Amino acid sequence: MATNYVMPKLAMGMNEGIVVEWLVSEGQQVERGAPLMQVETEKVAYDVEAPVAGWFHILVPAGETVPVESVIGQFAASAEEYAEIAGAAAPRGTTASTPAMVFDDKLTSTGAVMGTVPAAAATAAGGGRIKASPLARKLARDRGIDLATLAGTGPEGRIVKRDVLAAEAVAQASTAAAPPSATGELSVKGTVPLKGMRGAIARRMTQSLQTSAQLSHFSEVDATGLLKARKSFIADADAYGTRVSVNAFVVKAIALACQAVPIANSAIVDDQIVLWNEVNVGIAVSLPGQGEWDSGLIVPVLRNAERKGLVQIDTELRDLATRAREGRLVPGETEGGTITLSPTAAMGGEAMYSWSTPVLNLPQALIVQPGMIMPRAVVHKGKIKQREMMPLSVTFDHRILDGDPVASFVVRLRRCLQAPELMLA
Amino acid sequence: MALGKEQMKLLYRNLVRADHFDKMMMNRIMQGKLIGFYHPGDGAMAAGVGASTFLGDDDILNPHHRAHGLGYAAGRGVDIGRYLAEHTGKVDGCCGGRSSFHWSFPEKKMYGASGFIGWHFCPVVGWGWASKRKGNQMVLMASGDGSYGQGGAHEAMLFAMNWKLPIVFFCENNGMAIHSTISDMHPMPDISSLAQGYGMPAVVIDGQDVFAVAETVMAARKHALAGKGPTFVEAKTLRLREHDVGTPDLARAEPREAAYLEELKKRDPVVLATSRVLAEKVLTQKQIDKIYKDAKAEVEQVEKFADDSPVAQPSIEELLAGVYVA
Amino acid sequence: MSEVRELPLVEAIKEAYRQEMERDESVFMVGQDIAGGIFPHTKGLVEQFGTDRIVDTPLAELGMYGTAFGAAMEGFRPIVDFMFAGFFLNAASPILAQTAQFRFIHGSQMSLPMVITGACGAGMRLGNEHAMLVHNMIAQVPGIKVCMPSTPYDAKGMMIAAIRDDNPVAFIWHLGTMMDRGPVPEEPYVVPLGVADVKREGSDVTLVANGFQYKNAGIVADRLAGEISVEIIDPRSFSPLDIDTILKSLEKTGRLVVVDESWESRSTASEIAAQVVDRGFDLLDAPIRRVTIPNMPLPGGHMEPYVAPNPDAIEAAVRDVCR
Repeated sequence: MATNYVMPKLAMGMNEGIVVEWLVSEGQQVERGAPLMQVETEKVAYDVEAPVAGWFHILVPAGETVPVESVIGQFAASAEEYAEIAGAAAPRGTTASTPAMVFDDKLTSTGAVMGTVPAAAATAAGGGRIKASPLARKLARDRGIDLATLAGTGPEGRIVKRDVLAAEAVAQASTAAAPPSATGELSVKGTVPLKGMRGAIARRMTQSLQTSAQLSHFSEVDATGLLKARKSFIADADAYGTRVSVNAFVVKAIALACQAVPIANSAIVDDQIVLWNEVNVGIAVSLPGQGEWDSGLIVPVLRNAERKGLVQIDTELRDLATRAREGRLVPGETEGGTITLSPTAAMGGEAMYSWSTPVLNLPQALIVQPGMIMPRAVVHKGKIKQREMMPLSVTFDHRILDGDPVASFVVRLRRCLQAPELMLA
Repeated sequence: MALGKEQMKLLYRNLVRADHFDKMMMNRIMQGKLIGFYHPGDGAMAAGVGASTFLGDDDILNPHHRAHGLGYAAGRGVDIGRYLAEHTGKVDGCCGGRSSFHWSFPEKKMYGASGFIGWHFCPVVGWGWASKRKGNQMVLMASGDGSYGQGGAHEAMLFAMNWKLPIVFFCENNGMAIHSTISDMHPMPDISSLAQGYGMPAVVIDGQDVFAVAETVMAARKHALAGKGPTFVEAKTLRLREHDVGTPDLARAEPREAAYLEELKKRDPVVLATSRVLAEKVLTQKQIDKIYKDAKAEVEQVEKFADDSPVAQPSIEELLAGVYVA
Repeated sequence: MSEVRELPLVEAIKEAYRQEMERDESVFMVGQDIAGGIFPHTKGLVEQFGTDRIVDTPLAELGMYGTAFGAAMEGFRPIVDFMFAGFFLNAASPILAQTAQFRFIHGSQMSLPMVITGACGAGMRLGNEHAMLVHNMIAQVPGIKVCMPSTPYDAKGMMIAAIRDDNPVAFIWHLGTMMDRGPVPEEPYVVPLGVADVKREGSDVTLVANGFQYKNAGIVADRLAGEISVEIIDPRSFSPLDIDTILKSLEKTGRLVVVDESWESRSTASEIAAQVVDRGFDLLDAPIRRVTIPNMPLPGGHMEPYVAPNPDAIEAAVRDVCR
């Protein structure tokens, strides 16, 4: 009996995966534990090992996006069986009703009623049949939404009405920024599919802005002392094994500010606000996107910043950022953040002194965005002086925090950044 | 019940007309100018003419299937032009060209033929029941010997006798049902023997004698209208030709013998009736010639009417609108 | 407004017979043991109308049916009662062939104003022939209207409509609803044939059910209240079928379950599903589920309750389309 192989669910938040590459060839005999395929989720690329040995039959070609738990291949127990299943009509894209990573040898019918059979064929973006209800198809047609960009939440991954309505919200959010135009009169320079990382970013940003009460606060930090302290660390870089970055100071300052104002390090879970002991700081890292026109973003998490020193923080930050850019994060490393740091990189290669309104990484209560540190003329001790200044933007969820605690948090953050020695406390 | 001279003249005229119509139908089907089948009545047109010519206007008449009821239609005064137009699928057909050969003529209280032989044994009970409730009308229910194989025939006789319904069960027994002979299909030579079990009066007559048929049916009708219940009239007749034009003329699986058929032709009802009206001086040869001339002219007129009528091909929407009473 | 009295469904039907026979001399009933009344729906009528209009026949369905069939051609308005609706099969030929085609095939010149009636339905464990619902067999043939009431109110109004209709109407009623009580106005009134009724409003799923199954649908809707909002539509007539009311409901719900106490294949449930896919494809957010008798003769004994549609099967189907 052949063993079905399904798209594994590698993280709680994973709904679909892209078969980036099969690491075995069609019909190849595979040992258990051998690299089987490279899968890309919304967040990471990952090499998956063969869970069993056998002659492998590929059902979904590389490059396709499929819902988790869809059957994407089969392990035959023998070469003869392989020949049999490879020749037969394949249950391509069929969804197993079994939990993730359980390799059932047969498909289980799902709640058939009075002689009905479970419908076959799941979503197969990338050219195959897309499983969607007629109503969902009509709504998508009427609203100009490409079903291939959606992940179904109905039975067996079917795209249903609610999925299209959710996607419409995304589409409206994106078209709101673009000037209204008649596509018919324009020529297309390029397209970026709203799936994979792009799709995840689109969904998360829209969800964030539509479901929370976001308010941003802007201020300035005198970072002259911070740069001076950093210079001392860099002077001893060989001893520490790293050139401690400004971001490491900011992470540490965030951890301390969170300990002073715990409500800043919280989230809404179900019907209550939950305050966390750990300060797990997500760090936004820019990535190249899919193809020429796209960009990407990923947020690995630095855990227990409250318990770590600057050097350890900096070492981990660099490791996370490097592996993020190389696509080598492992599942779990982008999860569990309690607050986010969104550093402003040099914009267009040019230093620019600016603020913006960072978008909350739900369900977190707060996100911190330090700008570029630049020399500015400021009034310092009664005189106009040149000081190294850093713009600071903070967005918070007004459902969770009101003005007072946010003011307390920002004050604490600024004090730590303006007088880094306080972080020794 | 003795017939008067005028009644005999009318019967003779209707017989000649019916015979001409039957031959018209045979000619047309052989020319491909008829839709469906034609089951010829050649040599057996007297029974229908005799049974139908003197019915009352309110009486219900169910014709026998053979000759597609032409003898009954001729006797009843049905517009044969519309009858033929129906058989040719024309707009002037008596059913708008929809019925193929299962025509009806409701204004003459002929409620229609069916493709199921013996179907009428079902509604005849209601026709009889309604006639009894209304009074002063009866039912002439004609059928062939073959249809008495249907179980419904027995239910009809049971109900009719039980409720004393004014029905004349008029059976044309030609001894043949398609290729089957009556001796193979019925235990008794007379179909009317079935009536005995229900206590229904029954009589066997010569179905080739149009005058005898008319006299008997008029007596049975009087019996029915007097509230005395149903009767059974079995008219022995014959079949000169095949079951329907174009199929072989077999008895069981064997062709019927030519010599036997020649013998049957001597019993042609028109021949018999002609010699009687001449012998009894009811009609002169000159008058008979005129009747033939008129019949021929009527056939020409009927064919012209049907042929001139446009083909009926209403839209699906028009047809759908005809399924239910709005 | 005075309070409307309540009557059992059979009494509502009898009141329709009585009032129509009083109103119109041409109306009469024919059947077997209807003078005595094997079911309560004819009991006592013979005392008022006599044996000329409450006509008992021998055990011979062809002759019995023929009494009505032929009389209808002669201008009477007969009601022919088969007692158990399944017994109509003994007269299936004149009903399905000649009656159904009668008007159309003869050029739409004649009409057959008659009511064909009988009781049926699972629930009494009488076996296939007594229980079988014959509505689909008749409704498949154009030319006869087919209906079945779910409530006493509808029973009276639809029977009066059937008697006054100039077409043959098969009025089937379910034994499981026989003694159901409900408000029935005393004066004669008509519930039009071919018009479905939204019996209960809801927003999540459209549940089509009729006769005894209408009651089961109500049980399921109550069970799911607060969780799934069920809209119950009683089609009332199977032919003509009011698909528009079902489509209108689907515009709201996007999900459809059809209960039909009949075999799964070629049932009214199948017909509704087909028409909805044909005319309302874009309204569907889930597959259509049919709750029917699996394709087997309906067994008697202790098997009927789970073989025939029941609240558990209906609930499972409703939940399935609402996943």
